[in-house]
Amino acid sequence: MIYGDRKTGVLVQGATGKQGEFHIGLMNAYAKQVGARGVVAGVTPGKGGKEVHGVPVYNTVKDAMRDHDISASVIFVPAAAAADSIMEEANAGIQTIVAITEHIPVHDTMKAIAYAKMEGCSVIGPNCPGLLSPGEVKMGIMPSGLFSRGNVGVISRSGTLTYEVVDELTRAGIGQSTVIGIGGDPVIGQTFVDVIARFENDPQTKAVVLIGEVGGNLEEEGANATDMPIVAYIAGISAPPDKRMGHAGAIVEGGEGDARSKIARLKKAGVPVASRPSEIPAMVRGLFKSC
Amino acid sequence: MKLREYEAKKVIKEYGIPVPAGFLIRSADELPAHIAELGDKCVLKAQVDVGGRGKAGGILMADPTNAVATARELFGKKIKGLPVKEVLAEERLDIQHEYYLSITVDRSTKQPLILFTDAGGVDIEITAKEHPDAIRKVTANPLMRDIPPFLLRELVGTAPKEIGGIINKLYRVFLEKDALLAEINPLVTTTKGVFAADAKIIVDDNALTRQGFTVNRDLTDREREAEKYGFSYVELDGAIGVIGNGAGLTMSTLDLIEFYGGKAANFLDVGGGAESERVMHAVRLVASVPPVKVIVVNLLGGITKCDEVAKGIIDANIHQKVIVRLAGTNEAEGRAMLRAKGYEMLNTMDLVVKKAVEVAA
Repeated sequence: MIYGDRKTGVLVQGATGKQGEFHIGLMNAYAKQVGARGVVAGVTPGKGGKEVHGVPVYNTVKDAMRDHDISASVIFVPAAAAADSIMEEANAGIQTIVAITEHIPVHDTMKAIAYAKMEGCSVIGPNCPGLLSPGEVKMGIMPSGLFSRGNVGVISRSGTLTYEVVDELTRAGIGQSTVIGIGGDPVIGQTFVDVIARFENDPQTKAVVLIGEVGGNLEEEGANATDMPIVAYIAGISAPPDKRMGHAGAIVEGGEGDARSKIARLKKAGVPVASRPSEIPAMVRGLFKSC
Repeated sequence: MKLREYEAKKVIKEYGIPVPAGFLIRSADELPAHIAELGDKCVLKAQVDVGGRGKAGGILMADPTNAVATARELFGKKIKGLPVKEVLAEERLDIQHEYYLSITVDRSTKQPLILFTDAGGVDIEITAKEHPDAIRKVTANPLMRDIPPFLLRELVGTAPKEIGGIINKLYRVFLEKDALLAEINPLVTTTKGVFAADAKIIVDDNALTRQGFTVNRDLTDREREAEKYGFSYVELDGAIGVIGNGAGLTMSTLDLIEFYGGKAANFLDVGGGAESERVMHAVRLVASVPPVKVIVVNLLGGITKCDEVAKGIIDANIHQKVIVRLAGTNEAEGRAMLRAKGYEMLNTMDLVVKKAVEVAA
């Protein structure tokens, strides 16, 4: 596993909101199932002293850190305040920050990520589903029922498309080490390069499935920075130029970041690329045979 | 959202970047009142929301004797299909040299990226390919309000020193106006100094409200309606309507349609946790596009509940065929509801898409 395990104490910011409350319930149900610590504290300014599913809520991250051993957090705070939440957590010394929030203005994200980097912490997202290491830890909103433990790492810019691929893998008997959604925004904290570097140092992960989409060239950067066996899939081959395809970052602009050129560059780097999600399990098996 | 040239120029002028003398007109009759301000030669530039307008005939040269007639000609044109409703009338500069300056968001470094080149006025993408060494690039720390002087010197090189000040002013525009792109192409030197001959600003759609914009002009009417319901929607030109949850899954569904030889009519991501009413609006919205013959619904429920989706599809009550793939929370209930009403359901993405392509053919 990467970024966390059963011993990781998780904090949730935006704990008393509809999303925060709902997902604290699900995260802790999963934690109970696998014997993990799960969410140990919540934060919502002005709501200190309340409880959500038995989890104590604090006014500030520092207050929560005084009472609990916390090394990771999940943010459900609305877009206008989410960048501030990232900085508050980085400042308080949390190592891994998962920002689920969508629609954060990109300038706010740039500042928050620069600030977090200065404080030496890793930001996953924003606009992401978080991560799940089967049998260990769930930090985010992924539906845990689809997952199975194994040694394939999955990195994706997407949410539901990731679940689709995980479902295909699980049905094919291929378990996962860690599945991580790095976010659909143009500026995100941990990129393919960072996550693949973690997978390289993770003895459990033997191969990686990389799920990318139109926009930018972070997928190619990731594939070029490693010798790990990878199978890739890129969504958006039918995406028209200059149109945002749902994700703020999913846009072909200035003739760059289109799916065909991404696929060509990945293939040039020696990475097999699936033309549809259902081909991925067989291609992963192919990797294991060849290595 | 893209600002029009006259809007972008107004913004950069407020930040102290010199722009040519000029004014906006909405008909040729408005020209004579102010034409004296433009001197003995002028340029008329159509303000249309489309790139490459110069090559498409959207920029015309004139002088005081023929300016009104030239403006009439421009107002009568369509530029890449768009009618000309606004024209920016400007003095024509005596250009000595053209430079290119832009600031964008760099995904790799997660910082603002500033590009400057002596080879301006032409297509920057071509320069980037043919003379990559001619382009100077630096990234700036987003936590700082100014670009440090040493970086400005690095960018400007042997070009006139005052350009350093202009770069920093444009950087302030970029930060304070929530821009994804701030570009001056060309930035020109004349005997009277340095001017921004053209300007382009794209504002982050996620920051439109705080920047004081109430509507996103880049969207079509149907895309705007979709936005009201919280959908991400893009119009395409095929006959297969698509509804999915999540941008990646929906894009992948579109790709699969192409893979099986069909053409999608749209991209519609209903978002997470959609309730029946939103699903109903999504189905009706997609069905309202005339060429749509069949609709693929591909929903993988995590937070989304399949029974809510089923109710939404049934309530929409449209005449086109709807082919459904539902998986996840309350799947059995959702399937039973749809089966009772005779809807076709298939178990995988590949199967629903294949079927829809057959129906549309």
